Amino acid sequence: MFFYIARRLLFLPLTLFGISLIIFFMFMRLSPEQRVALYITSPERLRGDNVERLIDLHGLRDPWHIQYGRWMGNVVRGNLGWSNVGKEPVYSAIMRRFPYTLELALYSALPIIWLGTWLGTLSALYHNRPLDHTLRISAVVGWSFPDFVFGFFVLMIFYSILGWFPPGTLGAEADAVVKSSQFRSFTGMVTIDSLLNGRLDVFIDTARRLAGPVLTLTYVGFAYILRIARSSMLEVLGREYIRTARSKGLEEKVVINKHARRNAMIPVATVSGQTIIALLGGTVIVETIFNRVGIGSFMATAAQQLDFASVIGGSLFFGVILVLGNLLVDVSYALIDPRVRLD
Amino acid sequence: MKNLALIVLVFFLITVAGVAFAEIPNPDTYVMLTIAEPDTLDPHQAYDVASGEVIQFVYDNLIAYDGQSLTDFVPWLAMEVPSLENELIMNEATTYIFPLREGVKFHNGNELTPEDVVYSFHRGILADPAAGPMWMLIEAIFGYYSLEDFVFDKTGISLNEALDPESQLINEEYRQPLIDFYQDYIQPAIQADGWDIVFHLSRPFGPFMSILARNSSWAVILDKDTSVEMGCWDGEADGWWEHYNLRKEDSPLYDQAVGTGPFRLIEWDRVQQRVTLERNDDFWGEKPWISTAILWEIEEWGTRRAMLEAGDADQIHTPQQYYEQVTDMPGISVELGDFVLVDSMQFLWEVGPGSPYLGSGQLDGNGIPPDFFSDIHVRRAFNYALDYDTLVEHALGNLVTRIPSVLPVGFLGWSEDQPRYEFDMEKAAEEFQMAWDGELWENGFTVSLFYNIGNERRQTTCEMLQENIESINPKFRVEVIGLQWPTFLDAYRNEHMPAFIIGWQADYADPHNFISTYLHSAGTFSAHWGEPFREFARENLDHLVEQAVMETDPSIRESLYREVQDIAYETAAFGLPLFQPRYIFTMRDWVQGWTFHSMRPGEVNLDQVWKEEN
Repeated sequence: MFFYIARRLLFLPLTLFGISLIIFFMFMRLSPEQRVALYITSPERLRGDNVERLIDLHGLRDPWHIQYGRWMGNVVRGNLGWSNVGKEPVYSAIMRRFPYTLELALYSALPIIWLGTWLGTLSALYHNRPLDHTLRISAVVGWSFPDFVFGFFVLMIFYSILGWFPPGTLGAEADAVVKSSQFRSFTGMVTIDSLLNGRLDVFIDTARRLAGPVLTLTYVGFAYILRIARSSMLEVLGREYIRTARSKGLEEKVVINKHARRNAMIPVATVSGQTIIALLGGTVIVETIFNRVGIGSFMATAAQQLDFASVIGGSLFFGVILVLGNLLVDVSYALIDPRVRLD
Repeated sequence: MKNLALIVLVFFLITVAGVAFAEIPNPDTYVMLTIAEPDTLDPHQAYDVASGEVIQFVYDNLIAYDGQSLTDFVPWLAMEVPSLENELIMNEATTYIFPLREGVKFHNGNELTPEDVVYSFHRGILADPAAGPMWMLIEAIFGYYSLEDFVFDKTGISLNEALDPESQLINEEYRQPLIDFYQDYIQPAIQADGWDIVFHLSRPFGPFMSILARNSSWAVILDKDTSVEMGCWDGEADGWWEHYNLRKEDSPLYDQAVGTGPFRLIEWDRVQQRVTLERNDDFWGEKPWISTAILWEIEEWGTRRAMLEAGDADQIHTPQQYYEQVTDMPGISVELGDFVLVDSMQFLWEVGPGSPYLGSGQLDGNGIPPDFFSDIHVRRAFNYALDYDTLVEHALGNLVTRIPSVLPVGFLGWSEDQPRYEFDMEKAAEEFQMAWDGELWENGFTVSLFYNIGNERRQTTCEMLQENIESINPKFRVEVIGLQWPTFLDAYRNEHMPAFIIGWQADYADPHNFISTYLHSAGTFSAHWGEPFREFARENLDHLVEQAVMETDPSIRESLYREVQDIAYETAAFGLPLFQPRYIFTMRDWVQGWTFHSMRPGEVNLDQVWKEEN
C-alpha cells in the first residue's frame, strides 16, 4: 500500500506540469489584445497607446517560452502571480477562499451521502412498493431541479419570509469578532474556529448562513447517491450468497447490514468521493445566490475575465485536490473491500 | 374557545404593532450593495467607478461642485474658487491660485500643508500608470497626452526604453536629464507660495477646474509624510522614475488610504468584497450623519433584492431590466437619474487590414468594401433608418434619453435644438440609392453591426436598425454580432469592426472630454476610424476642437462646440448618436438626504444621508 501511495504521489508534479502547459497554451491561442482586456475594463482606458503600454508592462507579446519561463520561474520561487480578480496574490486569494468552500463541502457532503445511502437502501428493500416509488420520484425531482431555482426558493422562504437563514458568510458583528486580535484561527473554518474560541454567537451566526446553501446542495445532490445506492443494493440482494445467508436462517437485519450493504457500498464510495471532490471545486451558483465566499465563484470570474494567473493557479490547486481525492477513494476501496489489493 | 380567540387577537395586535413601529435596523450604518469592488485605492491609478466611490469619501479635492451643477464650484480644501474676477486666475488664464484651508487634519492626525498638495500633484503626474487617469492633468497643465510623450519631447529619452521592467535605469547617462526634466518642467508648474497653491498652465485650458473638482480621484490630496513612509516616491528629483508606470498591485497605496475626507478607511476586505468606512469625527467640514458605511459587492440581483427587502441593505444597484420589479415594492423608494454616459454607434471610414468581418470585401451583395462608410450617403442612410422614438419609448421603456450629438444633456454646447436625424425610411432609401454611385443599390451589401455581449440596450438598437435596413431593399443584409469584451477589444484595437456600439463615460464635466474623444483626428475613438476620417478631421474639425479648449469665454466656447457638432451632423461623421442611459436608484424609504449628482462615482452621497422613518 505504501509503495502504491508513494508512486501515485510521485506522479503529482508531472500531472501539475501537464495541467499548466495545457492551460498556458490555451491562453496563448488568444491574442495579446484579448488577454490585455483584463486590464482595459472600460473604453475610457483605450486612450492613445494604452493598450500597447499595458501589453508591454505585462509582457504579453513576448515569445511563448519567455512568458512560460517567467511564470515558471516565479512559481519555483513560490510566487503564483497576481490575481486581478481576487485583488491579491493568487496563492493567498485561493488559500483565503478555500476554507469557506471546504466548510460548505463538508457540511453538505455529510447529509448528501448519509441521506442518499440510507434512502437508497430503503428504496431497494421496498423495491417496487409505494415507498420506493415515492423516494425515486422525489429523487428525480431533486436531481432535475436546477440549483439556482431551488437556491432562490430557499432564500425566499428561509430568508425573505422567515428571516432564519441570511445570505453571506458572516454578519458584520461576527465578522468583527473573527477579525479581532483575540480570535485565534485554527482551521480557517469559522464554525470550528468559533467553537474552539468559545464564541457560540459567532458559531450561530455562521451556521445560520451555512444552512441555506447546505439545504440547497443536499436536496439537489442526494438523489445521485440514492440512485447508485439503490441499484447497487438491488444487485447485491439478488446475489446467491445473500440467498444462502437467508436460507441458513440468518436474521434479516444481519443479512442486510453485514452481508448486503457492505458489498453494495463500493460504488457508493466511488460516487461519494466524486461528490466530495466536486464540492471542493466550489459551487458557483450556490455561492453566488447566497453570496458566500468560495473558490467556485472566484474561479468562474477568473475564467470569464481571462485572468491567466488565477485560472492557472486555481487549476493547479484543483489538480492537487483531484489527485489526492482520487487516491483517498482508491485507498478507501481497500478498506471497505478486502478483495481489493493496491500493490 | 373564547380564550383562544383572545390570544389570537392579542398576538395579531402585537405583530401589527411590531411591524408598524419596527425600528430601523442599524440606524447608524449605511449598507450599499454594488456590483463591483474597487480596482485599486491609489487615487493616481484608480480609473473606475467602484474605486472612485471609495476615494471620494476618504480623500478631498481642492474644490467641489456646487449642488447639482456641472459648471459652478464651491471651495473645498481651497478657501476660494479661482476666477478672473477674484484675480486668482491670471496671465490670460494660464495661472490658477488656490488659497489652502488651514487647520485641516489627515486621518492619522497629521496637519495638511501646502507641501502635501504640491506633492500629490507631482506624484500623480510622475506616476502616470498605463491606462490610468493621469493623462487628464498632463494634458491640462502641459498639453501632452502622457508623461512618456512629454519626457520624450523635452529630453529625447523614451521612458519605456530607458527603464527596465523594475523601473530602474538601464543606462546611467539618462539620470541627469531625467532629474533636470523634473526640475525644469514639473516642479515649476505646481508650486506653493505660502499657503497659496499655484498652477502654471502651458496655455489656457477650459476644462481645468472640472478636472480638479471633487469626485476626480486623480486630483485628491495625499499626506506626503505618510505616503513616503509607506514607500511611495520620496519627493526628490533623483529616482522619481522608479515610481513611474507601476503595476497597480505594486503601489503602496493600493489598499491603504489616509486622507482628510469625511470618512476614514477601516477595511477593504477582498475576500468578502466589501469596503468598510467609518465617520471621521475630526472632519474639517460638515460631519456625516452615519457612523459606518459599507460598500459591498453582491453580484446576484436576486440576492441584493432579498437583502433590501429584509432591511439588511439600505440601497442596492438595480440594472435597467429589473426596473419593473422595484417600482411597486413596499417600503422602497426609487429615483431615476442620468449619469454622464453616452452610447453611440461608430462607423469606421476605413476598416483595418485583415478584418474577418467584411464578407467578400466587395460591394457584390455578400460583403462590404473596407471603406464602405467613407461614403457620406451610407452614413446618412443609417442615421435615417433608426426609429428613435419607438426605440426609446417602447423597446427601451423610456429608460434612456436621446441625445442629438456626442454631448450629454446639460453640457456646455449641448442644445435641445441641435439638428439631428429623424426616422425617415424614404430619405434612407434615397440616400442608399445615391451611395457608391448607385452601385450599392444595384448590388446590395452584407454588413455586420457589433455590440458587447451582455448589453441588451445595444443589442436591441442593432436589431432594430437591422430590421429597418433590410426592409428597404431585399439585397440589403445586416448581421448583428455580439462579442465578449476581450474579443470586442481585440477587434476594436485592430479596427476590424465596420460599425459598433460603445459608450463613453465622462471623466470630467466638460464638452472637451466628449468632443475630442469623438471628433478629433487623435481622439480616443476617432483616431481608430481610418485614415480617410483622420484626414477629414484634420481639415474640418481639429482646429475648432483645439481652439475651443483653449478659449476661456464660455459663450465663445459654446458656439465653437455648436459649430463642430453642426459639421458632424451635416456629414454624419462619427456614426449614430444614440442616448444616455437612465440609472435606477433603489433604496429603503427610511433613507433621508439622498441626492443625485451626475458626475458622482457610485450611487450614494454617504456624507449626507441618514436613516429615519418618514
